[in-house]
Amino acid sequence: MLGIALKMLMGDRVKYLGLIFGIAFATLLVTQQVSIFVGLLTWGANPVLDVREAHVWVMDPRVRQADEGLAISDSALYRVRSVEGVEWAVPYFRGATTVKTAEGRVNALTLIGVDNASLVGLPPENRVAAAEAIRGRNAMVLDETLVGRIWPDGRDPVGQIVEINDNRVTIAATTDALPTFAGLPVGYMKFTDAITITPPERNKLSFVLVHARDGVATAELARRIEAQTGLKARTREAFARAGLDFIVNETAIPASFGIAIGLGVVVAVVITALTLAMFVAENLKSFGALKAIGVTNVQIHGMVLAQSLLVGVTGFGLGIGGTAAFLAGAASDPGLEGFLMHWQVIVGALVAILSIVVGSALLSVRRVLKMDAAVVFRG
Amino acid sequence: MNRAASPSSQGGPTTHAAVARQVVMEFSNGEERTRVLHGVDLALPLGRMSFLVGPSGSGKTTLLSILSGTLTPTAGEVEVMGERLDRLKPADLVRFRRRRIGFVFQQYNLLAALSAAENAAVPLIADGVAWGTAIRRAREVLARLGLAGHEHKLPRQLSGGQQQRVAIARALVHEPALVVCDEPTAALDAQSGRGVMELLDAASDDPSRAVLVVTHDDRIYRYADQIYAIEDGRLVDADASHLPHALPEHGTPSP
Repeated sequence: MLGIALKMLMGDRVKYLGLIFGIAFATLLVTQQVSIFVGLLTWGANPVLDVREAHVWVMDPRVRQADEGLAISDSALYRVRSVEGVEWAVPYFRGATTVKTAEGRVNALTLIGVDNASLVGLPPENRVAAAEAIRGRNAMVLDETLVGRIWPDGRDPVGQIVEINDNRVTIAATTDALPTFAGLPVGYMKFTDAITITPPERNKLSFVLVHARDGVATAELARRIEAQTGLKARTREAFARAGLDFIVNETAIPASFGIAIGLGVVVAVVITALTLAMFVAENLKSFGALKAIGVTNVQIHGMVLAQSLLVGVTGFGLGIGGTAAFLAGAASDPGLEGFLMHWQVIVGALVAILSIVVGSALLSVRRVLKMDAAVVFRG
Repeated sequence: MNRAASPSSQGGPTTHAAVARQVVMEFSNGEERTRVLHGVDLALPLGRMSFLVGPSGSGKTTLLSILSGTLTPTAGEVEVMGERLDRLKPADLVRFRRRRIGFVFQQYNLLAALSAAENAAVPLIADGVAWGTAIRRAREVLARLGLAGHEHKLPRQLSGGQQQRVAIARALVHEPALVVCDEPTAALDAQSGRGVMELLDAASDDPSRAVLVVTHDDRIYRYADQIYAIEDGRLVDADASHLPHALPEHGTPSP
């Protein structure tokens, strides 16, 4: 009977294609929005994840995530170094500034100051060349991801002179950092250079980055640092998650994406439920004839489930393909780097879509199942 | 013509495809109950084509539905090929219908997306016969009914008469003992109607099968081997007032 069911479905091309494209559109909307949302969430964690050597981040107790620059006293570095279990601790500056090109273009920039000696905080990409280049006076290693915002003409930034707070800075090398939620170009300088060219403040130490001794649990070390210094200390994983949580809890982004995802689900439910209900209603006489002939309710269940699964899987495949094409296209845009369709998104969307189509099918077929076979003899 | 029959199935080989005894049917609408059949007795002999005629609302379709096992009577017994339908479990009744009864509907009720052969093969496919085997048998029946060369056509590509032939093929493909036809010529012109009735007449010649036709169409009464007339839920004498043009050509039937 499955062959008959599928022929019945495909014979009604308008509804068949309507169902498939409705489900495909809903799948595209849901998976694309979820993928972008997940990508944005990871952006919130990336400033921390990009510093791989640091086991523990130490900061002002009021800081919630890496882009909140509440500087702490320089002495904090020495207090942290004195905590038992600390292998090393280095200063780390992270702040926003403005960069001005020779042509007069002005652009916001996230300026990162890394420890002069160890260069902890410099991304691993092109590390050797960058490490060499950054040692020059007022030399900057620029993240190439958003370099086009500073020089839209696509020129090679290396060798360019820019101005930051009336200080001449030379772009000495490029690197490739993970994209961040702030969405600004990122420049790396030595810690001392970074705090020198930024406006004077009482404190300039944004974070202390800590490496634990072998065998020391990082969570325990973080607790110990907090207890001894009065500062806030978070393991790398916990602080990365705090960046993610910040986006979830402190911005309107989840609501915005939630609305779009909800609309996708509504579209899927409405289109699927209505179209399947119309399909069943228009084929009621046919189903009645089948029941009279001797087709069982179990077989009719199977027929409708086969129909719904076919349109569900086909529509889902098209929708996933559309999302994959979108994300592949987005990958070529440096500003959209890091948007991936994770397998969990695919599985979750598949379960949601199939639940919707199967649920709609079972609801719509109830009318057939309750129908008296003798109805086929009535006018 | 026959009067209301009082058949018995006691002993001997089955000579009737279907027998109804004291069948009563009531429909309830809220607290109001309407009796549409009042203790009907009827028998459909094998190898014969029986007609059930009467005015609209007389209970023809209800009786047809009960005889075909698609409706359960309020009281009374129905036997098809010796099997008491009221004693069958619902699933067994559906299976019994699928294997022993063929249906021809007024509006054909063919599945629009299926070819003529696929439509005709539906009872076999529903019964688990392999698709290829079912289609082959359906094509054989269609050829016997004069539809060779039309097997691949969709219903919309066929005339009304051809569609009804496909419906007859669907009703015969599984070689049922009882074929019930609900106004099989009502939607057809006279010529197509005659063609359909000749096919049903030929089908009823099979001694292992009975055909029951419910109709308003007095042009086809001459194909009947026996005619039951029904009025207000009771079988009545099929006299000239009921059947003005309908003297059967096949002689006087008896159940």
